[in-house]
Amino acid sequence: MSKMTGLEQSQYHPLVGVPMATLKPKQVRKNIHLTLWEKLYVFEILRGLFVTGKHFFINLVGFVLPPAGKKRKVFTVYYPEEKVTLPAAYRGRPVLVAGANGAEKCVACGLCEKMCPAKAISIVGGERAGGERYPVSYTLDMARCVYCGYCEEVCPKEAIVMSSEYQGLAQRDRAILRYSKDQLLRSEESVKGRLDYIRRIYSKCSY
Amino acid sequence: MADLEKDLHTEHMVINMGPSHPVTHGTVKFLVTLDGENIVDMKVDIGYLHRGFEKMCENGTWQQVIPYTDRLNYVSPLINNVGYALAVEKLIGIEVPERCQYLRVIASELSRISDHLTNVAAGGLELGAFTAFLYFVEARELVWDLIEMLCGARVTVNYVRIGGLKNDLPQGFQDKTRAVFKEVRRLWSDVDKLLTKNRVFIDRVRDVGDISAEEAIAYGFTGPCLRACGVPYDVRKAQPYLVYDRMDFEIPIGETGDNFDKYLVRMEEIQQSMKIVEQALSRLPDGPINLDLPQYRMQPKEDIYHRIDSLIFHFKTVIDGIKPPPGEVYLAVEGTNGELGFYLVSDGSGKPYKCRVRPPCFALTAAMPRLMKGRLIADIVPTFDMINMIGGECDR
Ligand code: SF4
Ligand code: SF4
Repeated sequence: MSKMTGLEQSQYHPLVGVPMATLKPKQVRKNIHLTLWEKLYVFEILRGLFVTGKHFFINLVGFVLPPAGKKRKVFTVYYPEEKVTLPAAYRGRPVLVAGANGAEKCVACGLCEKMCPAKAISIVGGERAGGERYPVSYTLDMARCVYCGYCEEVCPKEAIVMSSEYQGLAQRDRAILRYSKDQLLRSEESVKGRLDYIRRIYSKCSY
Repeated sequence: MADLEKDLHTEHMVINMGPSHPVTHGTVKFLVTLDGENIVDMKVDIGYLHRGFEKMCENGTWQQVIPYTDRLNYVSPLINNVGYALAVEKLIGIEVPERCQYLRVIASELSRISDHLTNVAAGGLELGAFTAFLYFVEARELVWDLIEMLCGARVTVNYVRIGGLKNDLPQGFQDKTRAVFKEVRRLWSDVDKLLTKNRVFIDRVRDVGDISAEEAIAYGFTGPCLRACGVPYDVRKAQPYLVYDRMDFEIPIGETGDNFDKYLVRMEEIQQSMKIVEQALSRLPDGPINLDLPQYRMQPKEDIYHRIDSLIFHFKTVIDGIKPPPGEVYLAVEGTNGELGFYLVSDGSGKPYKCRVRPPCFALTAAMPRLMKGRLIADIVPTFDMINMIGGECDR
């Protein structure tokens, strides 16, 4: 900064080169030297205790007189007993959707396999007697999947969706996590909420 | 004194801190040469979290890189998403609709809030302020709830698309944001009361890790660490992208660049970011969020289900990838630690020829020996915390 140009006289900041009026710097280091009162520390401890005490008593009252619709007014969720409410957007494990006849809707087009950034999907396609394509085997490696939701986004048949299931994804053996077609298949009713959601977010009106 | 040293056989001691040490939140190793408790020399060893991000990008299509960018700075993934998408859009030469730009600003600022909350919380924790940690982690959890509502995941967001966004704002987002920010402000003032005038905290962070503005620039500092030295450099103001030039916010700056300044700058930036989100939400225009360019952005699902031309485009863009024209581009956005740049080279095929990331914390980490030489070993903890090195971003 020793070799300053003439810029510092103008309203431009010498180092950033942007007008000061748009830059709006705000000095945050103020009153940093402690007063004697603050240096004495005892009162500062009391002030800190007041802050933490306030939280403690609010939580305590919340335990005795919980707010409407909740068991207790604490932030923590007591996990296996209580569960968080998942938002509609939540992306859990991907599942295959079964059509009305109980068979999967998937036509083995391979788009999800191609798009998957983790290369978690492997499909072997085949043809039914009527000339209809279907996946002979559809394997999804849950240990590889990164739950990005791309498979759902690209599928032209609404055949794979992100469910709200998130349990059972920690296993001692990776082989258990290689899900076959039967393990992935879910009825259409059970994923109805998600189907509605993706129809909404990928529809023309919200594009 | 010299006699004494001859008798005492004082020798320098070399110790390893890390790679897995409570103060190194990324995996990083410090090779510290100590004279008693004083640091004589220090070497930083990085690379423990190297996952080959840049090489991986070359093997994925342009769209497939977006989930990879989530894993760069994993505390503020949305900013990485936005930065990458903007770089690709610049390469193609397209600009997304206005509503999309506002939504990207909202998403980035939410991410910035969560990152700064985490950083201050962890900084407090490492200096023994466990209460401050709990309050800010609660606040961060609330912000993450917002992000989860928006994109369906808390950290692995995968929200931004080239030429648009995955989805629009969910219903009730504005009300929820208002409620969350009220709570975050309350917790912010509680932490402010607990830390800012706390003598124990100040004694640990003030005048530790200070650096002059010139030297900081020479080291390549950006972001809160440079602003703490008193240079109001912020990519959002210096080279405005998206609609940041229409937002009204201030740039907090410090004076000496010590850890206390970095803490104050980050605390103030949380407030400024909340201001930006509120402004953006109140001015949010209507309109589309995606570009209508089927060769770059997927068409809506109805068209894909019912129109053969859309379906063909869909298959082509997914299988071959989108094809930006050959060329190269550099674009920087203001990440939470500083200038996050993407340098992309396209050879006209469906995959990036090169995808280089300029991680802000690489330069910051490189300055650690300069900041630490001659100081006490205990000073490593607050300094390294306020540098906020994120392994995923630094090592890639
Ligand atoms: S969610 Fe993503 S990673 Fe998982 S199977 Fe689908 S595309 Fe692959
Ligand atoms: S994209 Fe859909 S239809 Fe195509 S293979 Fe995947 S699940 Fe089946």
